Amino acid sequence: MIATKPEDLVEYYFEQAWSDGLPVVPPTPEKIDAVLDVLGGDPERLEAVVPPRRGGLTRNILAVNIVMAGCKPEYAPVVRAAMLALCSPAFNLNGIQATTHMVSPLLVVNGPIRNAIGMNAGHNVFGSGNRANATIGRAIRMILLSVGGGTPGDLDKSTLGSPAKYTYCIAENEEISPWAPYHVEHGMSPEDSSVFVIGGEPPHSITNHIADDAEGVLDSIVSAMSTIANNNAVSSGSCAVVIGPEHAATISKSGWTRHDVRNYLWMNAGNKFSALTFNDRYGKIYNRNLPRWYKREPDSRIPIVPSADDIHLFVAGGEAGRFSAFIPGWGHMTSPVLLRIDGTLANAAAMCEDGTCRL
Amino acid sequence: MHDAIRLETAGIPTAVLVTTVFLHEAKVQREALGMIDIEPVVVTHPLSTLSNEQLDERAAEALDQIVRAWGATGK
Amino acid sequence: MIYDPRGTIDAPVLHLAKRPASLRGLRVGVLDNTKWNGWKVEDRIATILAQRLSLGTVTRYKKESFSRDARPELLAEIAAQSDLVLTGIGD
Repeated sequence: MIATKPEDLVEYYFEQAWSDGLPVVPPTPEKIDAVLDVLGGDPERLEAVVPPRRGGLTRNILAVNIVMAGCKPEYAPVVRAAMLALCSPAFNLNGIQATTHMVSPLLVVNGPIRNAIGMNAGHNVFGSGNRANATIGRAIRMILLSVGGGTPGDLDKSTLGSPAKYTYCIAENEEISPWAPYHVEHGMSPEDSSVFVIGGEPPHSITNHIADDAEGVLDSIVSAMSTIANNNAVSSGSCAVVIGPEHAATISKSGWTRHDVRNYLWMNAGNKFSALTFNDRYGKIYNRNLPRWYKREPDSRIPIVPSADDIHLFVAGGEAGRFSAFIPGWGHMTSPVLLRIDGTLANAAAMCEDGTCRL
Repeated sequence: MHDAIRLETAGIPTAVLVTTVFLHEAKVQREALGMIDIEPVVVTHPLSTLSNEQLDERAAEALDQIVRAWGATGK
Repeated sequence: MIYDPRGTIDAPVLHLAKRPASLRGLRVGVLDNTKWNGWKVEDRIATILAQRLSLGTVTRYKKESFSRDARPELLAEIAAQSDLVLTGIGD
């Protein structure tokens, strides 16, 4: 180890293959120790193995990446839990890292830890401007690059990449939401803190400044979902919908629950099979990536995702503005994962290793 | 690569087709998983938009490589 | 001090299966990875090779999902019923 001036170190780290293209904070023993303290010491403890390179994410290596990303030590449990979720078999991080699609893992944080570490769930929740959101997401990406080896043009074959591959991390706006938080909908208590990861395209904005009832707002979301170009349309799987607070207030004022919302969206969003096959312009298409129980007739409605439970619903964003967002997923090749902040499953029976059950 | 390596470990000679664009990934994976001797069978990328005639050309690229991967001189 | 964020790889050392003396009459399993056109190529290859090399039966198996690992039960079934396997990754 050679002692070097910090500004020289920044340049040195820029030149490494694992760089995300932005400057890193040069680690020091003190900064590393501060993170290890929060994690509970034990620097050689192996937290996860990160595909496709299968580098060992020990607490020490986790701390290095957390410091480099610019995180405060108190963010460490969130980054750790997110990595456990991403490296669990159901998520298939190997596929997510290698694909030509622009998918990037989105992290949604629920529970008291959001406020404890100063995350942003309000205006500009998707960025920019908040250190916790920005650096937690960035630490995850840096680990995927360095430990996981998913470097662009090398093992990461994404044709276009995406801004979400710099950082993609939000907190749900539980305080303003008219509904229970996501993690409570999935069986946790409000006092639990949790991480949820889903492979996602960048958010597609949904404007609606006209409707004053649930159906009107939701019809705009349905419209955004019902394109043949998003990956769910042809590859099935899961997606996320983030409803802005004004929209959520309107929907809830009509008496609609989370369950109502997800089912309305599922029931009404979709494409005609003939649209997906381009009217058989290139020959007859079956598409084995769609569930075998979909009818393949020209006028059959092909849902965007197989069930309402495959729509992962959050309320986030600022209190002003009539906007929501649709976040398509990668497809059936990955399943989203929800973990408590300590890394344990919400429902211990939900071991979705073979894809036969989803979250 | 995971499937092919698990099958080889189970004692079954396995030929794994890889398109040119994914060859590097295949090699990194065989190292990461610990079976450095497995040789992928390489065919030209892509496969997803090809006509049947073009698919036959890809098949032709693969035949000798597969026989070598399965390891016998094939009689 | 310079830090390396990559961590180390702790790979096992795995060896290839023993190779047969001859391919004649051996049973072939074809594992379809379900990615768009990959199975068509595998199918054509399997058919051509079966004739050319006087292979035994050719049995096709399908993964649940491309890009995911095959289920252990499926691999066990393939291993029990095959002497040689053809599979693919990528597209």
